[in-house]
Amino acid sequence: METVLEDLDIKVSVKELKFFYRDTLALNNISMDFPDRRVTALIGPSGCGKSTLLRVFNRMYDLYTGQRAEGQVMVDGENILNPSIEVSALRAKIGMVFQRPTPFPMSIYENIAFPVRLYRKLSRHDMDDLVEQSLRKAALWKEVKDKTHRSGLSLSGGQQQRLCIARTIAIEPEIVLLDEPASALDPISMGQIDELIDELRKEYCVILITHNLQQAARVSDFTGFLYLGDLVEFDATNTIFTAPGQKQTEDYVSGRFG
Amino acid sequence: MEQTITGTMLAKDTVDVSAQTETRNRKSGRIAAGTRLEPGFKVIAASAAFLLVASMVAIFILLSHEALPVFRKFGLSFITGSSWNPVLDKYGALPAIAGTLITSVLAVLIGAPLALGVALFLNELCPFWLRPILSTTIELLAAVPSIIYGMWGLFVLVPLMSQVVQPALIDLLGPLPVIGFLFEGPPFGIGMFTASLILSVMVLPFIASVSLQAFATVPVALREAAYGTGASVWEVCRRIILPYTKNGIIGAIMLGLGRALGETMAVTFVIGNAHRLKASIFAPGTTISATLANEFTEATGAMYMHSLLALGLILFVITFIVLMITRIFLHSINRNLPL
Amino acid sequence: MKPDAGILFRRRLINRIMTGAFTFAVLVSLTVLAAILIKLIGSGGNIFHLSIFFKSTPAPGSAGGLFNAIVGSVMLIAVAIIFAVPVGILAGTFLAEYGKNSRFGQVVRFCNDIMLSAPSIIIGLFIYAVVVVPSGHFSGWAGALALCLIALPVIVRTTEDMLRLVPDTLREAAVAVGCPYWRMIVSIGWRSARPGIITGILLALARISGETAPLLFTALNNQFTTFSMNRPIASLPIVIFQFAMSPYRDWQQLAWAGALLITLTVLGLSVFARHILFVRSRHGNRS
Repeated sequence: METVLEDLDIKVSVKELKFFYRDTLALNNISMDFPDRRVTALIGPSGCGKSTLLRVFNRMYDLYTGQRAEGQVMVDGENILNPSIEVSALRAKIGMVFQRPTPFPMSIYENIAFPVRLYRKLSRHDMDDLVEQSLRKAALWKEVKDKTHRSGLSLSGGQQQRLCIARTIAIEPEIVLLDEPASALDPISMGQIDELIDELRKEYCVILITHNLQQAARVSDFTGFLYLGDLVEFDATNTIFTAPGQKQTEDYVSGRFG
Repeated sequence: MEQTITGTMLAKDTVDVSAQTETRNRKSGRIAAGTRLEPGFKVIAASAAFLLVASMVAIFILLSHEALPVFRKFGLSFITGSSWNPVLDKYGALPAIAGTLITSVLAVLIGAPLALGVALFLNELCPFWLRPILSTTIELLAAVPSIIYGMWGLFVLVPLMSQVVQPALIDLLGPLPVIGFLFEGPPFGIGMFTASLILSVMVLPFIASVSLQAFATVPVALREAAYGTGASVWEVCRRIILPYTKNGIIGAIMLGLGRALGETMAVTFVIGNAHRLKASIFAPGTTISATLANEFTEATGAMYMHSLLALGLILFVITFIVLMITRIFLHSINRNLPL
Repeated sequence: MKPDAGILFRRRLINRIMTGAFTFAVLVSLTVLAAILIKLIGSGGNIFHLSIFFKSTPAPGSAGGLFNAIVGSVMLIAVAIIFAVPVGILAGTFLAEYGKNSRFGQVVRFCNDIMLSAPSIIIGLFIYAVVVVPSGHFSGWAGALALCLIALPVIVRTTEDMLRLVPDTLREAAVAVGCPYWRMIVSIGWRSARPGIITGILLALARISGETAPLLFTALNNQFTTFSMNRPIASLPIVIFQFAMSPYRDWQQLAWAGALLITLTVLGLSVFARHILFVRSRHGNRS
């Protein structure tokens, strides 16, 4: 597998991004590239800006006044920070999975069908197929195939999270954002999520935030280390964890702080 | 001799001994002054709390006691009878009960969608700086005393209804086949419909503020996940926020219903005070509270008084039941009913 | 997924309509409030001058004011609050400090909820039967008692809520140095919750200032100024009711003036009360 950045297709290119919560600078001149069909991990201690960065990609900060971004984030040749772009279409391309499972208050079937219906009109038969496919890809189909009419909230935590992943990939995104998807789950579910991330790599540009350094090392191809709003180092995961260039990075991955 | 004294240890037979010891200990700084007063304070506070219980029970007992002669004389026909005749000393409460229920239900039917619209606006559409101003303004609607609503209703809304709105609705909806009978009759201006309109404005801020509290319980991540799929504001409201807060919304609506049921002054001004049961919502009617307000001081004769008090009992029971149901639904967001 | 253009158009349209409906609802609410205030100021404002405050209610056709009604209201409200505040604070304190999980606490809370939302005319009815009938006459005491029963649950509720907000660590710190529990409540609980408790009292005040129904058959009404609580006494809401429903032009005008006065008082108290709480919770009480 290619691990040299220059030889890969870049899906998301961040150029000199600054992010502000009111007057506080949260991200300071971040520039990094996220390759397609690879997993890029963002690591760093709490409050370093990882979640902030992730939420720029699907313009989630639009929901809140006083939060704003400056700079450029290029996705497929367009700067998505531009206020004139169609945010709904952007979100059709980008899926996000949160730390806590967020099943919608609907049936399992509807959880997946609802976002799809925002973009396509499918026949009942086609929708059934799509729901099944998505649940299979998220390794949930076997467990719920007899009860897709039951509420999404009736599932266990790990199952709910896989439902959220199924929901995310059902709309055939190009980029998948994962914000500590396994941190609220039990170890077995965590392992299942790791396997899922491996599968997701095959089709999507995956950006993963994790506090679990072993998970980052295991699952990602590239890693960016953020600290207090700065991008300290960005390289192939192997390099970051075995021979980091910056002292700070080395201190963090060896557990000396964070 | 070391002795640690706590308030709860003060039993009667150790009082004298502990008084000496306490004085000794207090002088040597070992226990705080006033420890002995602890049980007294608790008793006083408990008595105050008990007064509340006593009041409620007393109201119930008193009203039941006064209402008993009425039911003994008229039986269930007091509730089902529709003729309220002080002259003949015969009383049927159906017009009043029906009026109470109809105006309140109509008020909620009109007011609840408006209230939800306001709450959803404040939650999802309102610019950040505008929100406190707007929500204070909506609260002002709740603070306006009901007599003001009554006066405004009589002097502003009623002429508007009788000259503009009611004639229009009568012409438009009166001729319709199945529901036309609801909209017949001369455009008095006063009547059940006008009363319902005033009530709907009065319950709107209550429903809106409880709904807002319910919306605040939606987890941030869920809301973001919903918008993250690319759904529009309405789609998020309809498919995620409202279903998630279902119980709170129902509780809010029930709360509004409870308020409408008990409302007196606003209704008295505009309902027309006619103990008659007509199908048309434009007809004058009455409610229990309006009947009480209008007739109580004029009531002569024991059975008249008892009947009025029986009406009071019925109203109390109806609001009691609605409040119980409200509590069940609001349990998830709030232990208690909001102010 | 590439969005289908037809679906997108329909979705956008529906969204516009529905969010427009939300905005419409807000506009309706604001319009009604404005209409009420405009009518109040318009009809009540033009005779709103000082003489109103000093002349008593007149017979129809002669000039007068609202002096007796204002005096009556002030007396009724003052007596009601004087009794409601200590009982309310103590009961609310009981619920927050001693009755958190007890069965009795649950019962008290339930009764408080009922009393809070009970129709105020029922309270009036109750006081009529319990005070007016045995004493044989209407009186200011009866009216004040009715208002007291209406103010009480408000004060109980806010006191309990505010005391509950005081962090347990604060209480534990006090008890740990040997402070008796009741003393801790008074010195720490009440003091920390003071702004909130005061807000509750002001809200109760605002509520009973506008209440008419409970006075209908308790305090009744009085044409003349009286300072005796033992007799029927005039009050602003009752006078407004009487004058507004009458066919006399000048009485109706006075009613509007009185309505304006009440509304200004109630709205002023409400905004003031909530503003105290808002400001205090933002700046103070960093415990």
